[in-house]
Amino acid sequence: MAFPAKYPQMNATELTDEARSVLIRVIRVAFPHPSFPDAPYERTADTILREAESSTWFRVALTQGLITLSHLAGGDFRTLNDEDGTKVLRRIETTEFFGFIRRTTVLNLYDNEDVWKILGYEGPSSDKGGYINRGFNDLDWLPEARIESYDGPEQLIEVATSASVAKIRGGENTPATERDTSNQPGKRDATMMEMTK
Amino acid sequence: MSTIEHDEAAIVIIGSGAGGGTLAYELTAKGIPVVVLEAGPYLRNEDYVNDEWEAFNQMAWLDPRTTSGSWRIARDFPNLPAWIVKAVGGTTTHWSGATPRFKAHEFAARSTYGRIDGANLLDWPITLAELAPYYDKAEIAMGSTHVHGRKPLPANNNYTVFANGAERLGYKFYSTGPYATNAEEYDGRPASIQDGFNFQGDKNKSKWSTLVREIPRAEATGLLDLRPDSHAVQITHDASGRADAVLYLDKDGNLQRQAARLVAVAANSIETPRLLLQSASPMFPDGLANSSGQVGRNYMRHTTGSVYARFNDPVRMHRGETMAGVIADESRHDPDRGFAGGYFLETISLGPAFLASFSDPGAWGRGFTEILEAYANTAGLWIVGEDLPQESNRVTLNTTLSDKNGLPVPNVHFDDHTNDIAMREHGYAQAELLYEAVGSVGAQRTPPYPSTHNMGTSRMSARSEDGVVDKWGRAHDVPNLFISDGSVFTTSAAANPTLTIVALAIRQAEYIADQLKTGGI
Repeated sequence: MAFPAKYPQMNATELTDEARSVLIRVIRVAFPHPSFPDAPYERTADTILREAESSTWFRVALTQGLITLSHLAGGDFRTLNDEDGTKVLRRIETTEFFGFIRRTTVLNLYDNEDVWKILGYEGPSSDKGGYINRGFNDLDWLPEARIESYDGPEQLIEVATSASVAKIRGGENTPATERDTSNQPGKRDATMMEMTK
Repeated sequence: MSTIEHDEAAIVIIGSGAGGGTLAYELTAKGIPVVVLEAGPYLRNEDYVNDEWEAFNQMAWLDPRTTSGSWRIARDFPNLPAWIVKAVGGTTTHWSGATPRFKAHEFAARSTYGRIDGANLLDWPITLAELAPYYDKAEIAMGSTHVHGRKPLPANNNYTVFANGAERLGYKFYSTGPYATNAEEYDGRPASIQDGFNFQGDKNKSKWSTLVREIPRAEATGLLDLRPDSHAVQITHDASGRADAVLYLDKDGNLQRQAARLVAVAANSIETPRLLLQSASPMFPDGLANSSGQVGRNYMRHTTGSVYARFNDPVRMHRGETMAGVIADESRHDPDRGFAGGYFLETISLGPAFLASFSDPGAWGRGFTEILEAYANTAGLWIVGEDLPQESNRVTLNTTLSDKNGLPVPNVHFDDHTNDIAMREHGYAQAELLYEAVGSVGAQRTPPYPSTHNMGTSRMSARSEDGVVDKWGRAHDVPNLFISDGSVFTTSAAANPTLTIVALAIRQAEYIADQLKTGGI
């Protein structure tokens, strides 16, 4: 694929080390976690680059997208602060380029122990005996809650007494010939004993 | 395990989940041999992994599907309309465990709700009173907590937030169940260790599934010929219009033929109509058992949505049984709320990997990362309510796309009914109020996940022109063809469907056994 572009690099379809570092910055701006070190962003960028290698279309979209991004940034996307970087990304958020980065990041950035620990997720637990003795009920800022079914005086009113729509709109009391039964036939046979509460 | 010859006209069950697995056990327990064709592999509890994406790739039905319609799934997950399992035990291996019953009026939605524009409402041909004894049997089989002497599960952290919010909001009908996971040892299976993994399969066997109960018991009778990796592709019929065989692909992709004297389809509500449509013939040009034109129509997925609320203090919702928390106060029918039917609120939790993918698909930036940053302090609940059947919500064969076997893939078309939208908005608002009542500092409204509850595509009806099967799940058009899964639901009710699928299958097994004895089939 070749573009009749005035920039010769528009025909580039191979990803450089510089492209990788722009990509890492794009992911951090789009998915900002102040508590995350660089490593999770780097491995996510590498996953994106690996996936792009297996698809000509994504490789082209990614390469061209990263170059275009620098043009939008007025030089180098990496020099923009978070706020300005976000503005640039908002302008291109509907592109295939950004969609590919977003989807792949969502699927991979959060699927790794390195970020689980930071977020407070504890990962596999069966091999540790679950949480039965490790805090499944250690919440201490609310009172203990009832676990049994309600056994007080109130009954759940399953059908509100105001719910007389069926009669108004053509239920049992309407002559059969006047009912709209084309695709919503009403009750025909048994009376509905349990309904008459 | 028994072996049944391919040319012996057998009772063939397609699918081994809540419907098929239960039917297989109930029939073999009555001395009736069956062949079960299961499209997926025979995964065991020890094969499961405590990792969201790895487990998803291991268990989920990932064969290509397409979507259309205005539902958000068609935009966000165009090839994943449903999140169900392809393995022995079917989707019972992935479900959470909530087992509320349907209410009396939910079997008579047309009569109770009246005529609603755009909805294809119909009363079920059975009542709660008829199904109640089978609900009892199903609850006992599944070990539902809170009923038949089973202890409730203890409160986990997510439940403590949920129940306190419910109490402060004035709700009364909340508890940790009914929930088909053992709070104490029951039926030969241990108590829950609260490991927090349900959707990924339960390694501990505390959760009921047909994998841990019905399949092994059916195998123990010596009357079950279970064939994993066997994907049914067509039901054939004889000159009189009776089903006479099932064609299926074995694990090597070779076409096999199992002769049949009775076929029961329990392949979940996308594959069941797909199979009937693929079984079209000159005698059944619109698909097998489809003289009503209702095969594939009235696809329902429940009105769902989640709310993930953030607090100043830790919750750690990932610890403990995922859905052991149910509020029933909104499950009533009260048109004053602006919609017909009702909904339950149930606890839910996801790990960071799934929360990132599903909490707000397509989102990025600070608003998105805040959801993940707050992970440890987040509580979650799920709205699950009745959605209305619509004729145009429909499973069809996509003739422009075929799977690796050259078969047309199913397309799932869905548009929310305005009633569904009104109910979801009400649920979101109530959930936010509930969490605000216990001090939430922010909340995320999460749209429906790829559908875990799939219903209605071969519905039960009293009259053959209104639906596909009769009140026993027997096809109106084909006397020895049964549907045994949630496809038969005439309407969806608000309750999670598994208990009702199991109850219907137990009841259907009695009917089939009786008919076989008396020559009625």
